[in-house]
Amino acid sequence: MGKPVAYAVVAIVALSAVPFVAPRSEYAIEVLFLIFLYGAMATAWNLLGGFAGQVSFGHAAFLGIGAYATTIMIANGVSLWVAVPVSALLAGLYSLVIGIPAFRLRGPYFSIATIGIGEATRLIALNWTSLTGGASGLTLAGAPPLVQQYFAALALLVAAVGLAAWIRSSRFGYALAAVRQDTDAAETLGVATTVTKTQALFLSACILGVAGSVYALHYLFISPDSVFGFSTSISLVIMPIIGGLGTVTGPLIGAVVYTFIREQFAATLANVDLLAFGVLLIAIVVFEPRGILGIADRVRGMRRARPPAGADA
Amino acid sequence: MAGLYAAMSYGLALIYGVLKIINLANAGFLMLGAYVTWWLFTSYHIHPLLAPLLIVPAFFLFGWALERTLVRRVLSAEPIISLLLLFGVWLVLQNLAYVIWTGDTRSIETPFVEATVNAGGLQLAVPRLYVFAMGALVLIALQLFLTRTYLGRAIRATAQDRDAARLVGVDVDRVMGIAFGIGIALAGFGGSLLSLLFSFTPDFGRALSLKSFCIVVLGGLDSIVGVAFGSLALALAEAFGVRYMPASLQNLISFVVLVVVLIALPRGIVGTVRALRRG
Amino acid sequence: MPDPLLEGRGLTKRFGGLVAVNAVDIAVERGEILGLIGPNGAGKSTLFRLIAGVMHPTAGSVRFAGRAITGRSAHDVCVAGIAVTHQIVRPFREMSVVDNVMIGAFFGHRPRPRGRARARATAMEALAVCDLADRAATPARALTLGGQKRLEIARALATRPEVLLLDEVLAGLNPTETDRTLDLVRAIRERGTTIVMVEHNLRAVRGLCSRIVVLVEGRKIVEGDPQTVLTDERVVSAYLGTSAHA
Repeated sequence: MGKPVAYAVVAIVALSAVPFVAPRSEYAIEVLFLIFLYGAMATAWNLLGGFAGQVSFGHAAFLGIGAYATTIMIANGVSLWVAVPVSALLAGLYSLVIGIPAFRLRGPYFSIATIGIGEATRLIALNWTSLTGGASGLTLAGAPPLVQQYFAALALLVAAVGLAAWIRSSRFGYALAAVRQDTDAAETLGVATTVTKTQALFLSACILGVAGSVYALHYLFISPDSVFGFSTSISLVIMPIIGGLGTVTGPLIGAVVYTFIREQFAATLANVDLLAFGVLLIAIVVFEPRGILGIADRVRGMRRARPPAGADA
Repeated sequence: MAGLYAAMSYGLALIYGVLKIINLANAGFLMLGAYVTWWLFTSYHIHPLLAPLLIVPAFFLFGWALERTLVRRVLSAEPIISLLLLFGVWLVLQNLAYVIWTGDTRSIETPFVEATVNAGGLQLAVPRLYVFAMGALVLIALQLFLTRTYLGRAIRATAQDRDAARLVGVDVDRVMGIAFGIGIALAGFGGSLLSLLFSFTPDFGRALSLKSFCIVVLGGLDSIVGVAFGSLALALAEAFGVRYMPASLQNLISFVVLVVVLIALPRGIVGTVRALRRG
Repeated sequence: MPDPLLEGRGLTKRFGGLVAVNAVDIAVERGEILGLIGPNGAGKSTLFRLIAGVMHPTAGSVRFAGRAITGRSAHDVCVAGIAVTHQIVRPFREMSVVDNVMIGAFFGHRPRPRGRARARATAMEALAVCDLADRAATPARALTLGGQKRLEIARALATRPEVLLLDEVLAGLNPTETDRTLDLVRAIRERGTTIVMVEHNLRAVRGLCSRIVVLVEGRKIVEGDPQTVLTDERVVSAYLGTSAHA
């Protein structure tokens, strides 16, 4: 327990120093900002998809609601300190509205319903022109300085990962693990499985709501296709799986890989990045469903299994 | 529309029935079927109506190989793993199409596509009639294949009870490969038909595939006849829905139907009717 | 005579046209071991599921400790004090043995234990009863079938049930494991837990149960002490009937 916390503290201190040590490397700060934001989003998805085993292909809905709520409120003069928590809450409430019916479904059926829910949400946003501006989207006037955004995203990431780590070792974490591995068995041991899943979804949605606020304030322009888009939902699925589904640090590792691959291909061909993610996803699912962390475990295992040099008889 | 919906959903139902996995890559294969039809037409001047003659066997082989190499490895894992695998396949197909054919909208223009016939005062588009007829034809052919041939019976036996089928000597591994191949071939065929009616992009198929899920769930996930009913139900729901709301919300109807049906009738129309009759 | 601890009245479950459980009355007295026997497909496991809230009956009611619990969800029933084991073992395969049992300790009883240490203590106690304490850190999937069956029992015990429903805990075990499990069932009864067990091993049922209920094709046909029931003509013919098919 002590060791990971110590590593985390060192990492946070080091990352906090970056904008002061290298104030002019805007690109590096931008990339780190994206990693923090995506890391928080992936961690949020992982609470439901990894910990509770309920894979959602429609999580962009919550990011979108957070982003739109923040943009609309700020455009109407609401303070940031009110807008962000309200955005989180709206995303959370929406998750309850859809979660309560959707959790009557099991496993793959739930996943397919979430595709429908995600797309339905996007279409509503696209057609509710009076509120959302429709396809032309909404813009905000001025962004807070990049350094402030940097720290906001870092704080969100720390909060999300901290929450995940805490859940992991809590009673709630036990309930989620039981639900993931065998929902029926969990139920007969006293776990209120539907309530448990709904709680995980709610927390996940609230974090994504805040991530939506950060997103809106960074890009200053949102449209149904960007924040509610299916590709956003896809990226939320991919990152935790690359890193290690259901682990605390996996989604973060996945976010690092994801951001780098995207930045690599951003300059060249569009969609090559998604192609690469597709191949990566297939490879991971078939060969090592525990992702990069699983591969790391294997490598460590191999090293341990190998006798130390000169020790053989 | 019902014929089209049916044609693109049979494969999904067949694969679910036999392998008990949901082919999330169905959208990708629909899209690929449409693109291959377009590509054969523009590059080699092969008439779009003939394209299925090449597409069906090619897609069958592709699907069979995919089952042998990848799908087979995850069959015993949790269902979510196979779902994620096929999701990955979809991503690859879709983005490969973007890389090869770019995101530009494509459509096939031939005299046939624009032809109409006059039937009792109604102007009917020939391709629509053709697609409807093909949807019905494939349904009949598939039913005959499944009930009259040894292989078809083996497929049905495997769908009902894999272990029992194995006990009576069915080569279940082979049957699963073939069923997956047929499922993919049907998706390719469906895509080829779609290309006659709509213009398309690599993202094409996502909305349609959701409709397929909706249909298959409506019809009961593994019943071919159910698929035909489901297609009809969804096509009617959309046709009526459009009268009361803007056309841009047409897709919304199917998503809402999908979610409502999944939740309210998890056994589909056919399953529910069966249960009611028995009860 | 006082009210029974657990009582099902007119329990019926239909699946489509099939009636799996047909108007079964069953009463369980505090402190007894009640055996539930019958040929395959007689509806024994379904009856368990109806009592445990895993399925809800088409008709009939369940009362437990003087209160109606019909239609309550499985987790509610578990917390109320009825634990059930699964005929086909369902361990949380990726978890360690003790973590498996901690799920029961954490959620199966009110008030819920405060903190992991308390839940762990309850879990270790249940593991000790089931002779699994030395395997606590093993992944559940690494246990033998006998071990996994005892893990099922340990998880159920950790919910501190008043009634324990055991669904074929002896099936598939070798003679040594069988004896071990029979001793375990006796020990649990000694601790004051009432037990209902579905069992095919008639010798075990005769040695263990104070009363036996026989189900055939969803109906209760006989009920009584082991000696009377096992020599009853209808029971013998029901069993011979099925063995002739097999």
